[in-house]
Amino acid sequence: MKFSKYLKNNYLIILLFIVIIAIIDLMLISFKTNNQAIVGVTITGVLGFILYLIYDFYRRKKFYDKFINDLDLLDKKYLITEMIEKPNFYEGEILYDALYEIDKSMAEKIKEYSLNIQDFKEYIEMWIHEAKLPLASLNLIVHNHKELSDKKITEQLKRLDDDIEQVLYYVRSENAEKDYLIKETEIAKVISNVAIKNKDILLENNIDFEVEVGNTKVLTDSKWLEFIVNQIVSNSIKYIRNDVEHLIKITTEENNKNVILKIYDNGIGIGKSDIPKVFDKTFTGNNGRKIETSTGMGLYIAKQLCKKLGHKITIDSKENEYTEVSILFNKDDFLNVAK
Amino acid sequence: MKKILIVEDDTSISEELKNLLDNAGYNGVILKDFENSYAEIKRENPDLILLDINIPKLNGEMLLQKIRKESNVPIIMVTSKNTETDEVLSLSYGANDYITKPYNPTILLLRINNLFKRIENKNDILTYNDLTVDPKKGIIKNDKEELILTKNEMIIFTFLLANRGNIVTRDDLMTDLWNNDSYINDNALNVNISRLRTKLTDFGYEDAIETRKGQGYILK
Repeated sequence: MKFSKYLKNNYLIILLFIVIIAIIDLMLISFKTNNQAIVGVTITGVLGFILYLIYDFYRRKKFYDKFINDLDLLDKKYLITEMIEKPNFYEGEILYDALYEIDKSMAEKIKEYSLNIQDFKEYIEMWIHEAKLPLASLNLIVHNHKELSDKKITEQLKRLDDDIEQVLYYVRSENAEKDYLIKETEIAKVISNVAIKNKDILLENNIDFEVEVGNTKVLTDSKWLEFIVNQIVSNSIKYIRNDVEHLIKITTEENNKNVILKIYDNGIGIGKSDIPKVFDKTFTGNNGRKIETSTGMGLYIAKQLCKKLGHKITIDSKENEYTEVSILFNKDDFLNVAK
Repeated sequence: MKKILIVEDDTSISEELKNLLDNAGYNGVILKDFENSYAEIKRENPDLILLDINIPKLNGEMLLQKIRKESNVPIIMVTSKNTETDEVLSLSYGANDYITKPYNPTILLLRINNLFKRIENKNDILTYNDLTVDPKKGIIKNDKEELILTKNEMIIFTFLLANRGNIVTRDDLMTDLWNNDSYINDNALNVNISRLRTKLTDFGYEDAIETRKGQGYILK
């Protein structure tokens, strides 16, 4: 709070004071009062007034400076009411009380929304478990009745399952609460589940699926990682290039600090200008526009999940040559020492 | 015949599951009385239980704990609850395996088969007529001769052997191969089968693996 601005803000009362002092002085002169008395009255009046201004300025400054400073420091601005003391001037009190009221009402509103979101999330999770039942049933029916058996049906069922999973993991990725469980996971097992899920479509499209991951272990939630890898592999299958023998190759690299899982394909690749945007929500880019089933959500969700799990996901690609997605896992030093 | 109890409240799934198990040579039994699920399990005395988590009355995890207090019967949790927490919990309560819906039916059968094998702790040595098959060592032999089978050839041969006399589809073979981390393609499967045939011919079983057009293979 600046004194000059404070004076500017109070110019009316200062002006009024000067006028009144001037009038009093004129009146005293016209009553032929002693000159010394006039000077005395004027100095007393002016001094008193200035002292008052300074006092008033400082008690406001004390409150507002702390207020603004605290507000700057706060990450969550709405917590300001917890930081400031009740001021000792009238307008300050009004502001203080109003802030409390506003905060309270906002907190109530937010609570209402977060309960709604929680309810919605629970409903979606429940719905997804329900939706998986007819899927499981259909898979069994197709398998049991060979006369109905058709790869086309199982492929569509797989697609449906993927889409349902995507909703589930979108809800999980957007949710603030921690509903994953980190434990030591063998990458080969995760890859194997993804491979079996995609077996039919890989075979049908003559895509060679090469895996060289040894018995590398990482710290992650295996179900989440399975979803992430499935998204990436699904993309590789979607964006195959017709003039080559299709290949998806999954490898791992390991050093002292981390493990990198690399998923490479020799598909159509991604244009240079699109690469920085592939993890953005609903981004479909040039490739997406060529394929109807692109929602632009898969990689976005994968990135969000990686963020939560503490992994780093990156993409490297050259148009009409290859795409390689890398997931970087940190090694836990503590765990290694504990072993 | 091994009795497998299906604890699942979705009737469509439980009936198809029974169908699947019966076709695979097991005796599938569906649990009906969820009010007294534990008593019925005891009465049925199955060789293996397929247990869902979301079932009426006592939920699957609680039922699992109750069973484990008294019995070591193999239990596979079959559920649509696809979270690490549920899996870790189930395994810590004593489930032998955990598989999520929707699953590949062939994979479910493989898991059941593996579990039986693991529990019976068989020495893994199989026989085909006068041949001895040792999957662990990857060899096949008779009194005079011994041949090495590759990993893939062995997977194919043991699968055919386990289903001897029945038609095995290419898809089943592929699923078993992929389930063992051999992600081979159709051509490679053909090559492996023809190599296996050649090796069997060496032992004098010329047409042991017969091709049924449009259906699959059958080991005579």
